[in-house]
Amino acid sequence: MNDQSMTVRGKDRYKSGVMEYKKMGYWEPDYTPKDTDIIALFRVTPQDGVDPIEACAAVAGESSTATWTVVWTDRLTAAEKYRAKCYRVDPVPNSPGSYFAYIAYDLDLFEPGSIANLTASIIGNVFGFKPLKALRLEDMRLPIAYVKTFQGPATGIVVERERLDKFGRPLLGATVKPKLGLSGRNYGRVVYEALKGGLDFCKDDENINSQPFMHWRDRFLYCMEAVNRAQAATGEVKGTYLNVTAATMEDMYERAELARELGSVIIMIDLVIGYTAIQSMAKWARRNDMILHLHRAGHSTYTRQRIHGVSFRVIAKWMRLAGVDHIHAGTVVGKLEGDPATTRGYYDICRQDFNPMKLEHGVFFDQNWASLNQMMPVASGGIHAGQMHQLLDHLGEDVVLQFGGGTIGHPKGIQAGATANRVALEAMILARNEGRDYVHEGPEILAKAAQTCTPLRDALEVWKDITFNYESTDSPDFVPTATPAM
Amino acid sequence: MSAVAASPAEAAETPPPEQVDLRREFNEVGIGDVLDQLDRELIGLKPVKTRIREIASLLLIERIRKRMNLTSDVPTLHMSFTGNPGTGKTTVALRMANILHKLGFVRRGHVVSVTRDELVGQYIGHTAPKTKEILKKAMGGVLFIDEAYYLYRPDNERDYGQEAIEILLQVMESQREDLVVILAGYGDRMDKFFSSNPGFRSRIAHHIDFPDYADDELLAIAELMLRDMNYRFSADAREAFIRYIELRKAQPLFSNARSIRNALDRMRLRQANRLVADLDRVLTADDIMSLEESDVLASRVFLK
Amino acid sequence: MRVTQGCFSFLPDLTDEQITAQVQYCLDNGWAVNLEFTDDPHPRNTYWEMWGLPMFDLRDAAGVLMELNECRKVYGDRYIRMSAFDSSHGWESVRLSFIVNRPKDEPGFRLERHEAGGRNIRYTTKSYATDRPEGGRYGGK
Repeated sequence: MNDQSMTVRGKDRYKSGVMEYKKMGYWEPDYTPKDTDIIALFRVTPQDGVDPIEACAAVAGESSTATWTVVWTDRLTAAEKYRAKCYRVDPVPNSPGSYFAYIAYDLDLFEPGSIANLTASIIGNVFGFKPLKALRLEDMRLPIAYVKTFQGPATGIVVERERLDKFGRPLLGATVKPKLGLSGRNYGRVVYEALKGGLDFCKDDENINSQPFMHWRDRFLYCMEAVNRAQAATGEVKGTYLNVTAATMEDMYERAELARELGSVIIMIDLVIGYTAIQSMAKWARRNDMILHLHRAGHSTYTRQRIHGVSFRVIAKWMRLAGVDHIHAGTVVGKLEGDPATTRGYYDICRQDFNPMKLEHGVFFDQNWASLNQMMPVASGGIHAGQMHQLLDHLGEDVVLQFGGGTIGHPKGIQAGATANRVALEAMILARNEGRDYVHEGPEILAKAAQTCTPLRDALEVWKDITFNYESTDSPDFVPTATPAM
Repeated sequence: MSAVAASPAEAAETPPPEQVDLRREFNEVGIGDVLDQLDRELIGLKPVKTRIREIASLLLIERIRKRMNLTSDVPTLHMSFTGNPGTGKTTVALRMANILHKLGFVRRGHVVSVTRDELVGQYIGHTAPKTKEILKKAMGGVLFIDEAYYLYRPDNERDYGQEAIEILLQVMESQREDLVVILAGYGDRMDKFFSSNPGFRSRIAHHIDFPDYADDELLAIAELMLRDMNYRFSADAREAFIRYIELRKAQPLFSNARSIRNALDRMRLRQANRLVADLDRVLTADDIMSLEESDVLASRVFLK
Repeated sequence: MRVTQGCFSFLPDLTDEQITAQVQYCLDNGWAVNLEFTDDPHPRNTYWEMWGLPMFDLRDAAGVLMELNECRKVYGDRYIRMSAFDSSHGWESVRLSFIVNRPKDEPGFRLERHEAGGRNIRYTTKSYATDRPEGGRYGGK
């Protein structure tokens, strides 16, 4: 697919009229991206009859300097520097009609330390372009020069563990259920029971902000009463993610301040507050020793379909730069979308200091994080204690496992549900460290632990048949081929 | 929380075997390779190699007895190696650790090699932590104590070696499954040491004596060393070296293989000087590899 | 009440065999193992007393168990925990930490509430044990 360059150079380039994008300098197959270039990988599906190279060049153009006709004012600038260059186009395996377009953007196109600017630049204009049937931002390579302009996660996995004094196992959480309707006092009861029973965190749901059934101040006050009671009852550091999402930044700061005053270790925000607000809150969190949890509310509207939108791995990269400490990243075995290989890619992006290119996980570029803190992935949605071995195997140790229904729905009550989850987790970690094949012996390990723990026994009994096996809508394009045994 | 200790679930216990295929056991364990390696690496030392093979056989049978549930005791494995310096004691200790590891009597198979100074402190309270640190590092492997008799200095009342001795004796008795101790040194001095500290003798299962190398063995060692370094004796030089060995052995402070190595180093020095004295000469590989008679005869041992 | 700090507190107290397995896991990963003890179990008490230095360069867990038994002889009336340090870039902190010894009776914590402005309350967790001075908290002299 990588043809000759068709760029028109010299005076002819700026003659008035319409010129194809691939002639205007947006298709440069001989261009080698600089170490300081930002690279975006798009999955381009042109309309029928549109030349793929032209479509990819158009994406490069419309996400940088071009417009639909030649303009003389380009000549007042060092135009060649500011043009995005599509330098490589590959057909997508097993998807006729779709192409991977690699596009390089000069560092000067971007404001340092601004996700709002990055997104406005890359996805702000081009997605509605008529000649394209569909377009997806698949991955991005962010140069160290750019990464270094961001704060990064305010706390990071290591410091979070040091603050909680919890090492060696995943953290446990639960979203308070029912999602809506509880009064402040009753809400706090759920938090107390879950934390006392053995969870590390509880969580406000994404749409719990401040509604007629519960004002935010009441929630915060009752929750912190619950957190402190649970801390005294167990001797462990406990927390609950107080959701400070609100209509304006001023309101958000007000809520965050109260959370800090009350001594919470952690607050939470929703993705829908916008990139600017997220960065502001990350800055605030660092200044106020607060762990910042991000709920990825609304992302599935644009991340879920393989053919159009923005891949979640790009969102995860942006969020790590922006500076959140926790991000929901999928469970693999729970009720929400996410196949194992792709989810593994997301988790690596959150946790590694250097992501090597790994097409089977959907990681298209080597990405260096320049020692930015690691982000703790959160697995939440339809998981229960009986899946503990699978969760540990797929997701690793540095993750928050959230069992909302899996705690509150326990037949003997919330404390029992929490205890069941905690015992299952500790028993699995113990077995794994001993060198046992916990992936295959998981059910026996859980059954053995259940012998000395009635709540776990009940949990395994109630949920023993629950699985969520559906066809994934977004699995990797590259699958390692099995090589025949020699 | 109930007080029942949840121990790791064990695989269903298999009944002990009634028969064991000895050759298969031997091959599986892989000590054949280690013994062959010992044969190849070390020149001579016939009595030592025989002893090692004997011990290996004993331990192999012990292992089988354990598998058949005929014994549950931990065998005593501590050893003493006596002999002059340069007779291969350290090398054999390494191989022994390997054998013990392959037979499953030692968990990790590494060797920690110390002398008195690493075990004994300079002031009150210094010794115990020092000794314990060494022991911790050696656990799961072999602790090799060279010139062990220096631990015992009865004439100096401010000496703290006794503390180290007590700790060692205690560990050698009560933690036999965690650590194997090998004490090494000159034969007569080790004897005196054991007499003054009888606790050791009763804890040591195997005494191995390392005799001095015979002349022809020393020659073979020299030629092996030279071959490894890509040197060789000329015919005359070889003859001269045989005479050298005879004379040198009679002199004091002869450290067997070590002394041979030192001698070879000095001969290489003389060779280099001989070659460089004539800068106009064109050298072939042969010239550079060859040690001539003059390089050997220049030694002081020939001045009589 | 049972203080549930550390990685395995919700399981029955670990046997020496289980502790050995965990320690060996840490040593196999190249982490330095450290023993600490305290009689102040407050969750924000980060700095327990160290029993010796972190043990670097050990190959086998037996060495650590030796130290643990020594520590129990002296401080068996207190909390003892085992921590493993990972010095690799990007972590440089503790990887695993769990309690290996507890006092016979654990009286637990009192929650103190101080009313601040409005409906706000300032909370403090206080350990009943620390009502007595260090050394005399769990039946010690």
